[in-house]
Amino acid sequence: MDPGLRRGSDGEREPDGVTHKSDVLVIGGGLIGCATAWRLARAGAQVTLLEAGDINAGASGQNAGSLHFQIERRFIENGEALAEQAARIVALNRLAITDWRGLEAELGADLHVSMAGGLMVAETPEQVAMLEAKVRRESAEGLASRLIDGDQARAVAPCLAPQILAACHLPDEGHADPRAVTPAFAAAARAEGADIRTRTAVQAIRREAGAFHVGTADAAFRADRVLIACGAWTAHVAALANLHMPLYPVALLMNATERTAPVLPQLIQHVGRRLSMKQAYAGNILIGGGWPSRLAQKADGGFDLGAKASIIQASLAGNLRAAIDTVPMVERLNLIRSWTGVTAISADQLPIVGEVPRMPGLFVAGGGSAFTLGPTFARLLARAMGGERVAELDLLSPARFEHLNSFMG
Amino acid sequence: MADTFDVVIIGGGPAGQAAALALALAGHGLAIAVIDEPPRPGGQILRQPPAPFAVSNWLPGRSYDGLKAQLARFEALEGISWLGGHSAIGLVREADGLVVQASGQDGLRRLVARRVLVAAGCQDLAVPLPGWTLPGVYAAGGIQAFIKSQQIVPGERVLLAGTHPLMLLIGAQIVAAGGTLAGVLFAQPRQTMIANALRHATAAAAHAGNLAAAASAMKVLAGAGVAVRFDTALTAAIGNSQVEGARTAAGDIACNAIGLCYGFVPQSTLPRMAGARVQTAGPAGGWATVADGWGQSSVPGLFVAGETTGVAGAPAAMAAGEMAGIGIAHSLGLIDASEAQHRAGPARRRHARLLGFARMLDAVADPTGYLPAPTPDTLACRCEDVDFATIDQAIATGGSANAVKLATRCGMGACQGRNCEPTLLRRMATAGRTDDTGFTQRFPARPVAIGDLAD
Amino acid sequence: MGMRIEADVTRGNAITIIVDGEALPAFAGETVATAMLAAGRQVFRADTGGKPRGLYCNMGTCSECLVTIVASGRRVRACLTEAVDGMEIATRG
Repeated sequence: MDPGLRRGSDGEREPDGVTHKSDVLVIGGGLIGCATAWRLARAGAQVTLLEAGDINAGASGQNAGSLHFQIERRFIENGEALAEQAARIVALNRLAITDWRGLEAELGADLHVSMAGGLMVAETPEQVAMLEAKVRRESAEGLASRLIDGDQARAVAPCLAPQILAACHLPDEGHADPRAVTPAFAAAARAEGADIRTRTAVQAIRREAGAFHVGTADAAFRADRVLIACGAWTAHVAALANLHMPLYPVALLMNATERTAPVLPQLIQHVGRRLSMKQAYAGNILIGGGWPSRLAQKADGGFDLGAKASIIQASLAGNLRAAIDTVPMVERLNLIRSWTGVTAISADQLPIVGEVPRMPGLFVAGGGSAFTLGPTFARLLARAMGGERVAELDLLSPARFEHLNSFMG
Repeated sequence: MADTFDVVIIGGGPAGQAAALALALAGHGLAIAVIDEPPRPGGQILRQPPAPFAVSNWLPGRSYDGLKAQLARFEALEGISWLGGHSAIGLVREADGLVVQASGQDGLRRLVARRVLVAAGCQDLAVPLPGWTLPGVYAAGGIQAFIKSQQIVPGERVLLAGTHPLMLLIGAQIVAAGGTLAGVLFAQPRQTMIANALRHATAAAAHAGNLAAAASAMKVLAGAGVAVRFDTALTAAIGNSQVEGARTAAGDIACNAIGLCYGFVPQSTLPRMAGARVQTAGPAGGWATVADGWGQSSVPGLFVAGETTGVAGAPAAMAAGEMAGIGIAHSLGLIDASEAQHRAGPARRRHARLLGFARMLDAVADPTGYLPAPTPDTLACRCEDVDFATIDQAIATGGSANAVKLATRCGMGACQGRNCEPTLLRRMATAGRTDDTGFTQRFPARPVAIGDLAD
Repeated sequence: MGMRIEADVTRGNAITIIVDGEALPAFAGETVATAMLAAGRQVFRADTGGKPRGLYCNMGTCSECLVTIVASGRRVRACLTEAVDGMEIATRG
């Protein structure tokens, strides 16, 4: 095989000069891209999906698989205004609970979805107060979270440390297998007729006469609507359309212990420290929670998203300490793998999902929580891209950053 | 706990020792640490008996003499921090220099160094075949290490099978230890081995000593009535809860231990983790770290020597280690360029000669075409129990080795893919994908207790 | 069963380790793996299907021989871990 020959997933080389037409072109073979492609194809649209590397190779496959529906710690620790705004995302979290409960049946695939509950723990009185405020916000938004004391928490999850004073319990939380979810969406999309092409990097996006023309190294595509769902690369790809998208890459650390007997069915988070813990179906305990890694840098400045981000030792030591303090039994287990994955956060921390007002027909999706909320984003996006007005996405609309694109497009 | 050294040497084998000796000669008072997993230095080639043991006539044979003499010089060297019983689990460049994380019984140590030499040796190529996960199937090098160090033969009736002539030596050592061999099976025909050797006739002539060692091993085996068969492939290990026999082209052979000996691959985790450039290694597979004539890799300050740069045997590793030691001394400004050239001359000439022999051995031992055929349910990944049917299916979707890992868990287990990576890459090459760069190397290089890593 | 080499070898003091509740004779300096093999214990773990697994590489690379030191709970490679008199080992994590 000629290694220089770029192939689509069908293995055929495209003859020069042909433009491939479809209703929708999805850029990015992660969870949101594959799931949206599936929803749209199932609704009868002709869908093409272009992925620069392999399906599920980015944050969709590298994250630790938490299904977290409580308000995230990062929203609570950054002041009242953000917490207030973030409370509104609870409405989406509630939709996501329903989506995840139905997903395996809908896709006919084993995604190792486990929704045995989640506990966000507190170790200090200040942290307990944070949990109390959080539960009030969540209750107001209709989320069934409940504050329990340390002993009650240990009754739910006996492996929790004695110094845990309280926890916020949400029975719907849990985890799923990031290795399985996106490939299942991709397979389902293919089965519905979507044309999925891997190792096909988009090099140009142009809007002309109401349609989008998208170019790769050796093929041309035309579509009425385009979705950019490229995780950390979203801003780069949006730039091909001469648009700003305030999504910034962040590299996070995740860790896996060796397999051990079942001890932890729940998702464990911490309100005062960066921590997420769960035991994956294979028995490994996964430890993460948003500890930074160092993004690789290009020689001429800027981040090199294609290169492996490196581990910051203080992050590793801090993350594992938080894990031991919360679930002491992990102390004796072996770490067998630490890895870094690159995701994106937006300028205001809320995800960006929806149509770009400056360029009708162009949709973007990204900016955090996209494993937990990805299937929901995809379901809503598919409706929006079908021309429906989807009020649930208003909170996340790119319109809030439209000022950045006043001189773009 | 941070320790600062001028040089940290990872690996106490022939290359690491030679580098330490050359460095000690070049600069008095250099702070040098040498770290390795066994408690005593020697590497796998001279894996020493435990300190409380006394073994007279340990590793007889001329081929070990030079290595043992160097080991004695190394052990007599003063001022070296010997960190036996430590695993190098991480290697990164940080602001204050190269950092080696060393894990031992006493926890984790952070070794900061101006220069690091990785002389981490090689490992047996892991060879999947039906039944290879039965207790009693070993890497042949593992059996040899039991004999050299622990003074135990791990089975009453041992069968050696593969393509590598080292089997003759291991077989003779088993016989000398009073063990019983069920046979030595070469998968390739004898004529093929001879023809491949003759293609390197000059090297063969220059290393008549090694060939004589093989001949004398053959004699020992013949004297013990051990059948050495050629053109006789091992096709499966058989047994219920442990090895009870071997299925071969010549029928079933009763045995309760099998040593697989199809070649060796460099231990490449640490250089790859640090971002050093590598290239495909010899016929057995794996990755050889690219280095200049002084062992300097593509990562500034990171040197490599011995099997890390490609499997070439212990004498060649000794020569390369000496060159790297001199190269490091020069890079630290301890000796000038012409002095370095002068000092390295003899080792360089020896190394070139030995590489010729190594290439001959590669050709003779080449497992290509002679590896056992796995069945669809044969496990490719021992740690995660991933079979060939599963990896073949993932390979067919066209993804990279990393994508296959993500899709199947092949390479996600406690060995971090060290056993299955060559298997997967060979399988992908068969499917036409020869350009893959393998698994991204992740921290830690060896399993380490969470408690040792936490704040 | 592993066979200790007798000729030319003087071992360390006789010691005892306990593996899954069974007392095994060993000698100071031996690894846990050696003591187990010499006592005919070839199984170091069970795979995900419950099938027995033995030690494979004997050089710290394959992690097939990970066992638990009961006192500390630490999980160690038996091929690199020195047996200590009275040490208790469990082959199930």
